[in-house]
Order: sequence, then C-alpha cells, then structure tokens
Amino acid sequence: MTIAEDREALLAEIGGQNKATIGAVLGSGSIEKATERADGTMEATIRIPEDALAWEPGVLLLPHGGILELTIINDDKNTHACLLPSNGDRKFIGLLNHSKGSATLELDGPGYYWYGSPAGNDEGRGLTAAIVVGGEVPPEAKLDRPAQPRP
Amino acid sequence: MTIEYVDAGEAINHSQLSSLPHRAPDVTRGVNYDRILQARSESHNWITYYGDYDGKRHSLLDQINVDNVKDLKVAWIHQSSATGMMASTSTYAFEACPLVVDGVMFVTGWDGVIWALDATTGEQLWRYKHAVPFDVTLCCANVNRGCAVANGKVYMVTQNAQLVALDATTGEKVWQKTIGDVRAGESASLAPLVVKDTLITGSAGGEFGVRGHIDCWDLETGEQRWRCYTVPKPGEPGSDTWPADGEAWARGGANHWVTGTYDPELNLYYAGTGNPAPDFDGEVRPGDNLYTDSVVAVDVDTGEIKWHYQFTPHDLWDYDSTMEMTLFERDGKKLLAHFDKNGYMFVLDRTNGELQHVTPFVDRIDWGAITRDGKFMPRKYPDKEGEPCHFFPGPAGAKEWTHASYNPDHDLFYVPVADVGATATRRRREFKEGMPYWGAAVEVDVDNMAGSVSAFDSHGEEKWRYRMDIPMAASTLSTAGNLVFAGKPTGEFMALHAETGEKLWEFQCGSGHHSSPSTYTVDGKQYITVPVGWGGWLEGIVPGMSGQGKGASLITFSL
Repeated sequence: MTIAEDREALLAEIGGQNKATIGAVLGSGSIEKATERADGTMEATIRIPEDALAWEPGVLLLPHGGILELTIINDDKNTHACLLPSNGDRKFIGLLNHSKGSATLELDGPGYYWYGSPAGNDEGRGLTAAIVVGGEVPPEAKLDRPAQPRP
Repeated sequence: MTIEYVDAGEAINHSQLSSLPHRAPDVTRGVNYDRILQARSESHNWITYYGDYDGKRHSLLDQINVDNVKDLKVAWIHQSSATGMMASTSTYAFEACPLVVDGVMFVTGWDGVIWALDATTGEQLWRYKHAVPFDVTLCCANVNRGCAVANGKVYMVTQNAQLVALDATTGEKVWQKTIGDVRAGESASLAPLVVKDTLITGSAGGEFGVRGHIDCWDLETGEQRWRCYTVPKPGEPGSDTWPADGEAWARGGANHWVTGTYDPELNLYYAGTGNPAPDFDGEVRPGDNLYTDSVVAVDVDTGEIKWHYQFTPHDLWDYDSTMEMTLFERDGKKLLAHFDKNGYMFVLDRTNGELQHVTPFVDRIDWGAITRDGKFMPRKYPDKEGEPCHFFPGPAGAKEWTHASYNPDHDLFYVPVADVGATATRRRREFKEGMPYWGAAVEVDVDNMAGSVSAFDSHGEEKWRYRMDIPMAASTLSTAGNLVFAGKPTGEFMALHAETGEKLWEFQCGSGHHSSPSTYTVDGKQYITVPVGWGGWLEGIVPGMSGQGKGASLITFSL
C-alpha cells in the first residue's frame, strides 16, 4: 500500500511512455490555465512534446464557458491529429510532424471535456487530455431556492 | 537555428470529412401552431412528439395493415455509435421518437446529437453535435427523447440543460438558452413541445434533490415567457404539504422530464411530475409533498397551475408520474388517461382533475393499494433505517417512461407493462447539492420478472395480453391498419393485431428496444421507423438484461 507522500513519484512513473505501463495514463500530466482577453474570449496553447504521446497541458482550465482560441503544436517526430469538442460539431485538425495550427471552440460551462488524437491508439497511449470549464450557470438558470450546501 | 513549423491550418468541422450534403429541404418552414393542431389529419407526417397534442400515438395510416404486414421488410438502416469519450459512456441509448416532415426525418441520439435524414433512403443530410461535458450529472443515462419542429427550425434540449434552436435546412445553431443548473444536478432529456408561438420544456434531476419546474420559451428568440415550479415555496398553494420548518421543499424533486400533452380548447398543458427527493426516505419530508407524482394542468399563457391530481401522495417507492397523459373523449366528456409507475391506470376529467376511476394494470402490486374511487392505502415501504423492504412494482414502475398508444376506433390502450420488484433499504444521508439524494440502497430483482403488451379499454378492462418473460421497455405505436407495433428488450420488433394481440410479424433488430417508433408516408408509400439500441437506466428497468450488449441503429421498414 502506497502512502500519500509518494504521489509525485508515482505520477512520474505512470505519466510517460514505457514506464509503469505501455503508455501514459490519462490525467497524469500537467495543468495550466487559459488566459482571458477583455472581451471574455479565452486563449491557450496545447502541444505534443517529442516522444511524449501526450498533450501538454494534460488539463487545460478555463475560467468560464464561451469561446476558446486554441493554438495546437505538434513537436513530435510523428504525425498525429486532434479531435476537439465544440458546440455544433467536433473540430478536427491533422498534425504533421512538427506542425502548428489553431482551433476555435465554443464550450458550455461548468463541466469538463476530453479530446484526443484519433489515430492509431494515440488516445490510449496518452494523447487524450481534458478541457475543464469552471464557473456557474447564468443567474436566470439557477433554481429559486436558498443557497444549498455543496460537498 | 529555428525550424519553421509546418502550417496545419485551422481545425474544421468533423462532418466536413464525410459524404453529408449539409443541406436538407426547407420542410419545417410551413409547420406552425395551426398545422400542429391538425397533426393527425396529416398522418403522412409525424410533426410533434406524440404524433398529435393528445398523446394517443395513433396514426391514421393503413397501407400497412393486418393483411399485408407479414411482407414488411427493412427499407433502410441508419447507424451511429459513439466517438471518443462521453458522459455516462456505458448508458447511452436511443430513447427518441423520430419526427418526419415531408420526406425529411429529424431524430435525436445521445450526447447532444441530432440528425436530419432522407426519410426514404436514410441518407444523412446534416447533423448537429452539442458538446456535452463528461462530468454532467445524469439520472439516469445519456439519452434524449426527441425534438420539435416549427417555422424553419428544429429544437432540442441537451444533457447539460441547454435548449438549442437549429436552422432546419443546415443544422446550424440559431440560438441557445441555459435552462437548468448542472451544478445543482439538473439535466434535460425531454422533447420540447411547440404550443402557439412558444416552446415548453422541463427538467430532470429528481434523484439529486432539485426543485422541479416547467418552462415556456419564445419560439423565435428563446426569451423566457414563464417558469412554473412544481414544488411550491412556503406560503404558496400546496406548501402545507411540506414540513413548515427546514428546506425539504427546496430539494423536493417533482421534475417534469417527459413531454406533456395539450388541450387547445381548455388552453391547458398536462404535465406529469416526478418523484419527491429523497426518493425512499419520507421521514425527512412528512406530508403529501405536492406536486410530486402528479399531473398538473398548466395554463399555457401564464404558467399557472389550474388543477392537479396526485397519483402517489408522499411517495416512498420512486413512483414518478411523468409518463404520458393521454387525452380522449367518452360519452361527451373530456377525459385523460394515465398509466402510473405505481401500477394503476387513472382516468380523470381533464377539465377539472376529478377522478373517474382507478384500475390496476399489472399482476403484482404489493406496496399497497388504491381503490377504484381513489382511496390510497400504503402497506410496504422502507421506513426503518437499515431494514430491507421488498415491493412490487420496483422503482422503474409497472410502466416506465415509455409510452402507451390508444386506438379510438377500438377504445383500447396498448400498454408496455413491466412486472418486476425491488428491495430498498433506507439509508439516510444529509443533502449536498449535486450529490445523489435517494435515502436508500436499492436493488431491482434480476429474476422473477415478467412483462407484456396489454390492451385495456378506457374503463380499465383488460381485453388482451401479449405475454413475455421479461419487462417491456419501449413505447407502442397504434395505426389504422389495425396494428400495434412494439419492440422487445431482446431485439424483436413486433406487429400485433390491434383487436386480439395476435403476433402477425416480427423482425430481430439485433439489439433491445427502448424508444418510440413512428410512421409516415413519402410519395404514397408507408414506412414504420424505430430507433433501436439497448441502454439507458437498465439497472432500474431490467437489470437482468443489463449485460445484453448495446446497439445504436434506426431501422425503417416498408412493404
């Protein structure tokens, strides 16, 4: 049985290729926050490092729902792709070796979404990552009741 | 040295990498309130959820009939499964009723998807996919029961409690409204109903202690016209059925999660409401708990509740009453019939809610009894902490949300019946927003179960029964061809003789049925269409079939 202090070491063990497992275990990567422009549009960059078969960051945190302008970079010496959630249809982009593109997403919040590289078993090797949208629903959509305790 | 990146460009819509034309004929432009009022008279289409405002699910089409149904063949199949990771991955299923307008079919799937299909070939014309969060709270599965059409648009709700209006020719979004609070545990699954120049929706989330509501939205702009809460606040009519102290009312449930029916002459929308919360722990909410497990007759112009009838006062068994309220006439009276989870068929005067009579429609009922004149007598319920209590019907009820149909020529209701019990052991827990709030450990029986398609006349007399050894979990469809169509959990789609229940035809669809079939004609040819695919709240409905395997197809038949 492992004690909590070992968490970082154990995460490192499951977070790369051909370590504890064949691929990187989902959700074991880094976490970053998107930036926000004055008009509320959010911006962020996601990247595939060389030989990582994982997205950096593994978790991208958005402060609220809305429009996200995403820069997508493949620094790997292999070809991948990216299939992203967005209201209306998923967004697809092919990523040749050492390529860079972009995507504009519309996402509701709160809640979180997975996206991945739909090629081979990229998704299972580690190229599946999360976009986490924080915030609350609009005031008019809330229930008319006193504030309730949350977990 | 810096190496320039290869330009990967801008991400494109995934459906651009397909054969979709992204264009459908402009068939819904002329669909308006006046046409929906006369929906049954254009039985070549299926333009609203139940086929008509009255909820009968009965079509006047008779090209496919008792004499030739044996020749029914597959015309086309639409297949779609899941791509990528999605909420409640193991539960997704079709639960929809396809709409058809002048040769174009609109059908919702799961996880925010709707397709426009050529109704004669099954060719996909366009699709819309809303992004649904992976962690959205769902009780009890990743499902959606259908859409509405009018004035050139298609409307649907999403699992994360959004209402979207789409351009019916392209599938592009015109507007979107947030209609619930996902942090509170609200979601949405019902088909919206067009009434006059508005849309009516409801909410899901009764298992999470939310406060149920019915909402009305402007058809063109999405602006809210009214909201009607189905649990009263302190001081409002009905509030004396909740504890005077504390906040039980604020967590009371009563969600409207199945489309209601509508009487345009009375200007009333008949909404079924769901269970109280916590489902099985009634000690924290003494009283009748209005308007849970009720029909509320709502003025469509104001949202005011004009009358109500409660089918299960102070529910302790999870007996939602959200299922259809079928409107029919008898001896000059405007009546409403409802087959409740609690195992009883109720007939009410729909002008004022006055009870006409009550009749059991399933063999095994032991939670208690209701007399023909409506006296309610509970006997078995989980009232002692930690002590198991077994009762019939289980929490999915003697009939779950799936719909009965009604043939007025024979005065017969065709009811998908489930006969399975469950054990609930009361386990009190404190309320926390967004967390399941059942107040019990619950296990539905995996054996000793039965089911049927049963035909009852409007007085409650059973006329015939098609028996099965597992519960029915799909809606029936009645047609003027003297037929009743019904799909089994084991995959067979059947045509039964409307007067005798004799099985005249069946086709093995390859997966279980948990949706609502509809019928239509194009160029004079009649089609029967049925969404197929086992899934949904199987641990509640038929846990003995939860390992049956999944599917996801829309199968359309013709002669």
